[in-house]
Amino acid sequence: METLSLYVDRDSPVHRVDPISKLLYILAATAIPIILPSLLTAAVVLAISVALLLLGRIFRRVIPLISVIVFVLLTILIIQGLFRAGNVTPLFQLGSLIFYREGLLYAVRISLRVINIMLAFAILILTTKPSDLFETLVRKGLSPRIGYVLSSVLQIIPQMQNTVGTITDAQRSRGMETEGSLAVRLRAFIPLIGPVVMSSLTQTRERSIALEVRGFSAKGKKSFLNEEIQEPYHRFIRWGLLLSIILALVWRVAA
Amino acid sequence: MKREGMWSLKLSTAALVLIPVAIGINYIGKFFAELLRLPLWLDSIGTALASMLAGPIVGALSGAINNIIYGLTVSPISFVYAITSVAIGLTVGIMAYKGWISNLWKAIVMGLVVGLVAAVVSTPINIGFWGGQTGNVWGDALYAFLLAHNYPVWLASFLDEIVVDIPDKVATIVVAFAIFKGLPKGLISLFGGGKKIEKL
Repeated sequence: METLSLYVDRDSPVHRVDPISKLLYILAATAIPIILPSLLTAAVVLAISVALLLLGRIFRRVIPLISVIVFVLLTILIIQGLFRAGNVTPLFQLGSLIFYREGLLYAVRISLRVINIMLAFAILILTTKPSDLFETLVRKGLSPRIGYVLSSVLQIIPQMQNTVGTITDAQRSRGMETEGSLAVRLRAFIPLIGPVVMSSLTQTRERSIALEVRGFSAKGKKSFLNEEIQEPYHRFIRWGLLLSIILALVWRVAA
Repeated sequence: MKREGMWSLKLSTAALVLIPVAIGINYIGKFFAELLRLPLWLDSIGTALASMLAGPIVGALSGAINNIIYGLTVSPISFVYAITSVAIGLTVGIMAYKGWISNLWKAIVMGLVVGLVAAVVSTPINIGFWGGQTGNVWGDALYAFLLAHNYPVWLASFLDEIVVDIPDKVATIVVAFAIFKGLPKGLISLFGGGKKIEKL
């Protein structure tokens, strides 16, 4: 069954860590550079993230993920370097454009923060099966009905995308124009999206009946199909991450 | 079916099943916008439709889960803007409940309001996350221009966002409205949206 996910199936130490630890890592990687806002902190966190990505043998998969971001960061670098209020120290000049130190430093700080957050998320996304992530969340207390909603999105979207392909072909074969002026293209939008939406919404009626029949809204504790994998070192990692955030807070308050 | 007003937290199974479909519609809207090279994002049509059909809570949930799933499967940036999606779902849900989807003109006004709300919610996120830009070419060009002329950052960022959000959200609401009006009545009552249920 086709599901929507960026998960890369490998066996690495990072893959074996539980999803909650990876979520906590995202929290730590985001919070610590904010609590201790220095370029050094950001660089250290970045290095750790890169190391984890290399350890998980998924470093190359990150490149397409962040390439879009990199483009935006470049524009930030240019715009802040040129125009930020409070730019007084010129750093270098390209033709008639003067790039200032304050703006560039600000942009670099932003870029490091954005890239840090992206890499931390990438570690989670590339090494965790979404179904494992949602199952862990439900074990920890997330409503099983919401857990269902999360899992089903990943299955329903590929189904809907297939339907879209079919409908687009069907409409095109009936002479609908999809190329041309903006007005032509705008007019094509509703005949394309309408049928897909209608058929998907009609299916929800059947789907909700099917779920109800299988005890979806029944009260009482739900059991799990899979055995829970609990390694002792998982707890060690989780507490370690929480501790590092607390230490950062202490450092910030004390210094 | 008991209705406790629009803030009822009792989510029927049908409402929950609507959420993945709403997210799918968001994806499809985005896909067609790219396929047809339209200068709009059109990635919240599903959220708006879910709000019209099942109220603000379901709309807000659709928005939040949409950004979570998109963040997990395409681009982690979406996680950051989940709050904006929630705001859109809440706004459409509240206004739809109050009758702002009775005709096209009211729907357009609702689109303007939603665009404004989205811009207001997104601007602090834009400023805090990446210094005020939005990642959209036209908006950021405007931002650069305003910054070069010493306008305050919050204003430049807000205008950057609103120049893109208003057309996009008006179009989104109009499309969602068109779809909503085209749905069979049986489907609308399945989700609990629409007018108050009369009892004998």
